[in-house]
Amino acid sequence: MRDVIVIGAGGGGPVVAKELAGRGLDVLLLEAGPRHADPDSEWTHLENDANNPLTGFLRFGPQDRGAPAWYRETPQNSFIWQLSGVGGTTQHYFGNCPRAMPGVFTGYDGADRDAYDTAHLFPFSYDELVPYYEWVEATLPVQTAAMGTKESVFFRGCEGIGLPVQTTKTTVEDSFRPQQNAILQPGGWAGKVTGRDDPRLRYPESTGCTFCGYCMQGCSMPHGAPRNLAAKRSTDNSYVPMALTADAWADGGRAAELIADAYVTRIHTERRSGETVATGVTWRVGSTGEVHREDAAVVVLAGGCTESPRLWLNSALPNPNGWVGRGYTDHFFDWMIGLFDERTESSKGAASAARADFPGRGGMENVGLTPGLQQFAAVFSDSGIRGHHTNGRAPKGPWDGPAGRMIGPELKDALMNGIDRLLNILVITDDDVEAHNRVTLSALPADEHGPVPKVRFHQRRRSARTLANREFVARKAAEVLRAAGARKVVRVDWPPLLLHVQSSMRMGRSEDDSVLNADAEARWVKRLFVADNSALANSLGGPNPTLTAQALATRTAEKIFSTYFGGDPWVAREAPTVSTDARISSRLADVVG
Amino acid sequence: MPDQPVRTPDRLLARRTFLARIGVLGATSAVATAIPATTLARTSQAAPAAPAHPDTASVTDAALDRLLDLLRPVLSELSRDTLSGLVVMTSPGPDRFSAAQGTPRPEPGAIEAGGTDFIIEALDGFVPFPDQLSTPLLAALTTALDDTGIALPTSLNTLLLGQVATLDQALLVILRNDQTLPLSLVVALLLNLLATQVNPLSVTGVLSSPFARLSLDEKCRAFELLEGPDADLIGLLDANLPEPLRDSLSGLLRFLAGALLEFSAFGSYNEWAVFDRQTRELTARPVGWELSGYQPDGVVHGWDDFIGYYQDRSEVGA
Ligand SMILES: Cc1cc2nc3c(=O)[nH]c(=O)nc-3n(C[C@H](O)[C@H](O)[C@H](O)COP(=O)(O)OP(=O)(O)OC[C@H]3O[C@@H](n4cnc5c(N)ncnc54)[C@H](O)[C@@H]3O)c2cc1C
Repeated sequence: MRDVIVIGAGGGGPVVAKELAGRGLDVLLLEAGPRHADPDSEWTHLENDANNPLTGFLRFGPQDRGAPAWYRETPQNSFIWQLSGVGGTTQHYFGNCPRAMPGVFTGYDGADRDAYDTAHLFPFSYDELVPYYEWVEATLPVQTAAMGTKESVFFRGCEGIGLPVQTTKTTVEDSFRPQQNAILQPGGWAGKVTGRDDPRLRYPESTGCTFCGYCMQGCSMPHGAPRNLAAKRSTDNSYVPMALTADAWADGGRAAELIADAYVTRIHTERRSGETVATGVTWRVGSTGEVHREDAAVVVLAGGCTESPRLWLNSALPNPNGWVGRGYTDHFFDWMIGLFDERTESSKGAASAARADFPGRGGMENVGLTPGLQQFAAVFSDSGIRGHHTNGRAPKGPWDGPAGRMIGPELKDALMNGIDRLLNILVITDDDVEAHNRVTLSALPADEHGPVPKVRFHQRRRSARTLANREFVARKAAEVLRAAGARKVVRVDWPPLLLHVQSSMRMGRSEDDSVLNADAEARWVKRLFVADNSALANSLGGPNPTLTAQALATRTAEKIFSTYFGGDPWVAREAPTVSTDARISSRLADVVG
Repeated sequence: MPDQPVRTPDRLLARRTFLARIGVLGATSAVATAIPATTLARTSQAAPAAPAHPDTASVTDAALDRLLDLLRPVLSELSRDTLSGLVVMTSPGPDRFSAAQGTPRPEPGAIEAGGTDFIIEALDGFVPFPDQLSTPLLAALTTALDDTGIALPTSLNTLLLGQVATLDQALLVILRNDQTLPLSLVVALLLNLLATQVNPLSVTGVLSSPFARLSLDEKCRAFELLEGPDADLIGLLDANLPEPLRDSLSGLLRFLAGALLEFSAFGSYNEWAVFDRQTRELTARPVGWELSGYQPDGVVHGWDDFIGYYQDRSEVGA
């Protein structure tokens, strides 16, 4: 019998595991995918080897790379970009850590208070979350992004359209800024030399981000750095190492146990004094097919926005208002490509180190990619093929020609202009929680873990506010690219790309349209908490979700500790340990071996 | 699984047209003389109940086996040509497929980047495509008729109807019984079907695949039909789908249209073809890197692109 079992070692799960291990609880962290304990021997810096969604080492599938990836039904043009493995989808995230818009919380009283998804606010105030933001920002840590050439081009565009600079963590007006990101700032030779196997690029001659440009291929730079000193603070480099070494850095801490290749297939419950109570889980070992069951005082579900509803439904847990899996938000992204005559160095440095925000509308950020992914992004469209067919859409605006995917000579010429002579802007929409965008169980055959999830997005029937916001930000993105000097601007009009995922098991003020109460405990199952992005009440107004999910997970860890283990909250009265702490590095050397 | 269709002359004429449209008839003309003829049923009304297994029809097993040996490489060539016609949409080059679509280019493209093999390997080896969806698609391709009356050129009219029946039987065996589902073949046949809808003249020509014979603009129209998806296409395919999956079909086709182009683009510009799995190193410079100027000196562990902090601000307040 464990104190706590956490399901899923992605963006959220390890936060709860680390915090509660730090309090001395007996924590078991179960992860469906591989461990990737030794990136040097398991990873490369090559995009197909890394990111091929079917075969890459960063994919959503079992530990055995020879076995097929896990199929999920998406009955529309769309793409779910989630990863299995320790670190989950943060393994290839960009580390951007903006705070949510204050307007998406209860109690916000700014002049723009009606501009947000006011029907689905967080059930508490922004101020209440701030100490948890600060705690996570200090732990990861979150810092101001270093600037490379591509950021300077982005900033020039933002200056050119007259946007002011934001110099605070909380966003209060339309503005641009370097990202606050979970990427260690470059130190020593990092960012100052180009090379391979150059001793100056090895730790400790270099510390932090070496500007290698492989955020999306998983971060283990600089070479030779202990895992918890890798530049990008994906949870495999930050929270997981802390959870595994809690006895080394926390007074009275107890190291959490991590089991990878362990797919949870069921959450168990029983009836106790008229209530349904979570009692433990069953998981299946990928490599052997063996099945294990363990009990726990508290179960924490953190499989991500697509998988958490699936496990809930497969466990036949109660769903009286039908909101399990509903209200899925994805920032209804779009993609704008600007082609330049000058060099932008798009493939170098942190993938996305600059942003602009438009409260009540959404935001945007620059993104640099490798050649194959660049072309993937350029043909991922819901508007047919530029100049050939519209698929019923193909909007026009301050970009060149109708929106749509490039093809043939145009597509090739765009890349031949130079991967380092373009600038991509990701359009991030402040989108509404809508019941019809949802996860259900597919009618297709079950896999070895039960019925598979089906993710339905009605991209053409989204709320008027969502659609208007997307058009607003898309125009801004095109204007920024032009102001920065782009010779040609292409709007791709992406179908749903599910990687900023939120709110599919949302917490909310009303019992009628939420699954979790304000403590992130399931309304209908006691001792079951949700600690991934699905617990978020809404799409945060557009900011990238992971920091907020991690702040919320920290708060949830406190709620668990005080509600079920008789402890006191700590965030208000203690100082956090930073995840780069030397005690973690030296203990890691023992536990990883 | 629907029963073996009755082989009457009318039906076989329509079936022959369909086989021409999906590229099978044209591709097999080279081995046509080796195809034995199946005995035809006398009338459609009096046709006996269809045999449960396709391979128990009226050609001897030995004859069928010989035909299968001949047919497998021909069909795999048909898929290759069709999918080559697909990948050059995303990166035309100096090859014959790019020339056929009307966009020849001097510098290397998808073919040189191994795009065709990339997509075939992905489709056949790794796409976790559930049988429940692929089986009805196969069933549609192996039973569908074309009675739109497209006139076949004489070059495609050489098979006796009995031979068409045999060919059909063999196709059924290949699609249903092979160890791994040849999803690449299913996709190829589907693209060819759409190609001949866009341009009926594409049933014959220089390359073996109707889709690969289209101009780039016509290929885009074929994708328009797939992505729409076109009602006729849905009608053809969903007759074989079990009820709970009917809704999934149009979504699946939309997904497929997007995924085929996205995967072609990814595969035509990434390092797949020159990656050595053993050493985890590149054996040559990837075409996509050369085209885009990516990493001129190969993989690096750092770039000297750190300029500083915007307005010299390296931290911000609350
Ligand atoms: C290319 C890319 C860039 C991104 N950049 C940013 C960024 O800059 N900033 C940002 O905030 N966000 C970013 N994101 C999004 C970010 O990755 C997610 O917000 C975050 O990973 C979500 O965390 P999660 O815990 O909800 O889910 P995940 O990280 O997906 O983790 C869920 C984990 O649970 C495991 N799991 C699922 N089901 C089970 C089960 N039944 N049993 C056991 N384990 C299970 C999964 O294998 C997975 O490891 C990016 C995403 C992508 C794809």
